[in-house]
Amino acid sequence: MTAQYHVVGESLERTDGVAHVTGRTLYTADLAFPGMLHLKVVRSPLHHALIRGVDLSAAERVPGFVRALTHADVPHNVYTILGLIGVEPEEEFVLPVDRVRYKGEPIVAILAETEAAAYEAVGKVQLDLEELPAVFDMDEALAPGAPIVTHWGNNTFMYEGHPCRRVRYGDVEAGFAQADHILEGEYRTSPIEHAPLETTGCIAVPEAGRFTVYTNTQAVYFSLDNTSIILGLQPNRLRFIGGTVGGGFGGKVDVIVEPLATLGAMRTGRPVRYVYNRQEEMQVSSTRSAETIRIKDGVMADGTIVARKVTGLADCGAYSRQTPYAITKFAANATGPYRIPNVWVDAYCVYTNRTPTSAMRGFGVTMGHFAIEVQMDKIAERCGIDPWTVRFRNAHRNGDVKPHRKVTSDATLIETMQAAARLVGHGLPPELAAMTSAPRTEWEGER
Amino acid sequence: MTVSTYFQPDSLPEALALLGEHGPDLLVIAGGTVAMPLINEGISLPAKVMGLRRVGLGGIEQRGDRLAIGAMATLTALTTLQEVPLLAEAARHTASWAVRNMGTVGGNLFTPPPGGDVATALLALDAQVELVGPAGARLLPLSGFWTGFMTTAAGPDELVARIVVPVAPGRHAFVKLGRKAANTPAVVTVAVRAAMDGEAVRDVRIALGAAGPHPLRSAGAEAAVEGRALTPEVIASAAGAAAEDAQPFSDQVASTWYRRRMVGVMVGRALAQLASAEQRGA
Amino acid sequence: MASVVVAFELGGRPVEVLVSPLATLQQVLRTQLGHTSVKDGCRQGGCGSCTVLLDGEPVLSCLLPVEDVAGRRVTTLEDLTPVDGLTTVQRAFLDANGFQCGYCTPGMELVTKALLERNPAPTRADIAEALSGNVCRCTGYVPIIAAVEAAAAAGSAAAVVASEGATR
Ligand SMILES: Cc1cc2nc3c(=O)[nH]c(=O)nc-3n(C[C@H](O)[C@H](O)[C@H](O)COP(=O)(O)OP(=O)(O)OC[C@H]3O[C@@H](n4cnc5c(N)ncnc54)[C@H](O)[C@@H]3O)c2cc1C
Ligand code: FES
Ligand code: FES
Repeated sequence: MTAQYHVVGESLERTDGVAHVTGRTLYTADLAFPGMLHLKVVRSPLHHALIRGVDLSAAERVPGFVRALTHADVPHNVYTILGLIGVEPEEEFVLPVDRVRYKGEPIVAILAETEAAAYEAVGKVQLDLEELPAVFDMDEALAPGAPIVTHWGNNTFMYEGHPCRRVRYGDVEAGFAQADHILEGEYRTSPIEHAPLETTGCIAVPEAGRFTVYTNTQAVYFSLDNTSIILGLQPNRLRFIGGTVGGGFGGKVDVIVEPLATLGAMRTGRPVRYVYNRQEEMQVSSTRSAETIRIKDGVMADGTIVARKVTGLADCGAYSRQTPYAITKFAANATGPYRIPNVWVDAYCVYTNRTPTSAMRGFGVTMGHFAIEVQMDKIAERCGIDPWTVRFRNAHRNGDVKPHRKVTSDATLIETMQAAARLVGHGLPPELAAMTSAPRTEWEGER
Repeated sequence: MTVSTYFQPDSLPEALALLGEHGPDLLVIAGGTVAMPLINEGISLPAKVMGLRRVGLGGIEQRGDRLAIGAMATLTALTTLQEVPLLAEAARHTASWAVRNMGTVGGNLFTPPPGGDVATALLALDAQVELVGPAGARLLPLSGFWTGFMTTAAGPDELVARIVVPVAPGRHAFVKLGRKAANTPAVVTVAVRAAMDGEAVRDVRIALGAAGPHPLRSAGAEAAVEGRALTPEVIASAAGAAAEDAQPFSDQVASTWYRRRMVGVMVGRALAQLASAEQRGA
Repeated sequence: MASVVVAFELGGRPVEVLVSPLATLQQVLRTQLGHTSVKDGCRQGGCGSCTVLLDGEPVLSCLLPVEDVAGRRVTTLEDLTPVDGLTTVQRAFLDANGFQCGYCTPGMELVTKALLERNPAPTRADIAEALSGNVCRCTGYVPIIAAVEAAAAAGSAAAVVASEGATR
């Protein structure tokens, strides 16, 4: 038989492979333009403070200083990244006016002829800050009397008027009453920094009538559209050129560097480079959010879960960025790949004075699955049955309805677990080996 | 941030003269692996810097029953030092290949904890520091070199020229606990050296790194094993004494709580190594 | 701040650069000499992406004042890449997919070259130790170690062919 497929089953050389192994791939920070200025920002040394004054006079005297950018320079200074998909309200300051909400928040940008001069001038900016009480713990942020981080008076993101994303399906209390066992668990995850080897950065170059921005963003149009909103420029005056990203993992979708660099290019007429150093990448670029997940499960003696109540808290830090969306994903995935007939979820996006959090590989879902799978092992232990069996018995099958009312049509958990068992040489009992994701029989569907 | 001058003296006298002339305004760098990261990030903003790569202190020479190691000898040069296997082992467990090719033994004495792995081994070896200044050279035992966190007995007009290490038979052990296997800052480092009198331990030195403001010896652990055979009970009491003597701290690598416990565990492991069969012939 | 002239050998050619005091070799290679295979991941000695060979030994160009390399021999990946084709090490990294984003690759390859020159048949432990100063955030290292092993195997095969050629 003649080979018809040239890709499937073959190992293909990557189109960018030769450039990578010869070091010829050009990343954003490898580019340079004549007359290019360097942008560095003055960052808040405090977690929460009122800005009473900023004195630039010593910085202005540094040889090579070109100009500073303050909040007054930013045409549309308050924005929200997800505003593009209708998320409200606008909340993050490109450069804050009178209050900083996290340590490392940019206050003033400095443009200088060299990077060394930019650093030196940054070091000479005098800040007059009045420290405010800060909150770093989600439960404390939700308690009465907590310092308020947002400008709307409480520390939660509001979902259509509610302080949390809610899922209501079946009757959890009835489920708990029917259950043989009740299992409760609290799970906590830490913030995680993506730590890409190439730090976040861009270079904005003014051209006749428009700006070309070379950026290592993972989301070129996202960056372009937000920059256009912040700078009050028609999108056709911006040309964004992405390229090889030197590691992203979700961390390069936040549109933090492009607006300031482009504004610098607008104000000076010169190319402007704004690239994070390693310390900035680790300390001020967004992380995955920390979560606290509290689960109460009602379980039958055979391991079948009949009810689940979940309260999830995700720490978005001082600005929510992409975390409200992560919470929606968390709420939608609170049952994992398992069928549970009675479900109640309250998932909060909580503001604190920590570094803002955002996207990272499977955000919202990943942390939930950590909690859910540990919970599954505990269920197996409590019921005295094998952890594989618990998962097979609860696995979604085609036709099962999920708590958010979607009907499962592409279930593969059972087949995937069977394949995994084969790969690790784990013999499955005949009951599990014979199962498929085919719709439940009427009898099976009863419960 | 903007450095006005980088001096590169060609000899030790020239270096000392520059130090005398510019005084504390002059930042001295050797391999630069500690100093340059701070300069690159704008944390250290020196106007004048002096590099020691050309002063000719990279050599290692025998001086009677001692080894005089030039302060500018790289960590890589130490890794193959057969005369003092404890030092070679410590150097092999320090940083990465490229860092070892640049970093110096002199610079390791000035590295804040949790760094200072080689310095910890040198402390267990009863090394002496040869300081050279306008008044000439003086030898100082390493145990009297550190005066606090990031402070030493070296005068502002002095440089470390050499480190003098006794070459003597005996047993040694080096144990470094990090969060990964290689190129890792220490949770705790333990260096032990002892002469043996049959099964009994004599002249033991138990040095701890990353367990205080600078490498330090555990007097309690040394007293617990001195003159005794290394039975499990003796090792356990020494481990407990070391954990008490430690002055651990919390940083991004480990907490005070964890470090103190690990000092005990690692001293126990080091002493068990000292007692082990492979060392008997040595 | 008086600029100074520094002369050294880059990839076998003499170069002279006018630099500000204490400029790092990394910055000079990247911005004045166009050797952008020398990467800029941290400037703290922590990532290995800026590795170059100094008289054949791996060093971190971000920690090295360019004045300290006066009169010495510097090699980057630009200097090793043949006009046509790839080096053994580059071929091995390409075939084994020893990279994803490619940012760590030049540093990894230079350390590999230096390792194989000193130890043509390294064990996995030797490879891991040698590469311990080079961070990769994408691959999880497994394909990189496989690439080094493949390069070692290809290198020794090439050495056999060369010596057979010599005896013939
Ligand atoms: C990635 C990385 C990993 C590391 N891992 C380790 C590790 O595992 N263990 C460890 O111990 N260290 C580690 N280090 C720290 C460092 O590399 C070593 O401590 C090294 O020995 C320092 O020597 P240096 O010559 O580079 O110091 P430098 O940076 O040149 O010197 C630091 C300071 O010491 C003083 N100084 C140096 N030499 C003299 C002298 N002769 N006379 C007077 N003063 C002097 C100067 O004040 C100078 O500013 C690591 C560093 C990096 C970047
Ligand atoms: S940039 Fe030099 S080690 Fe990271
Ligand atoms: S391939 Fe991306 S860091 Fe190694």
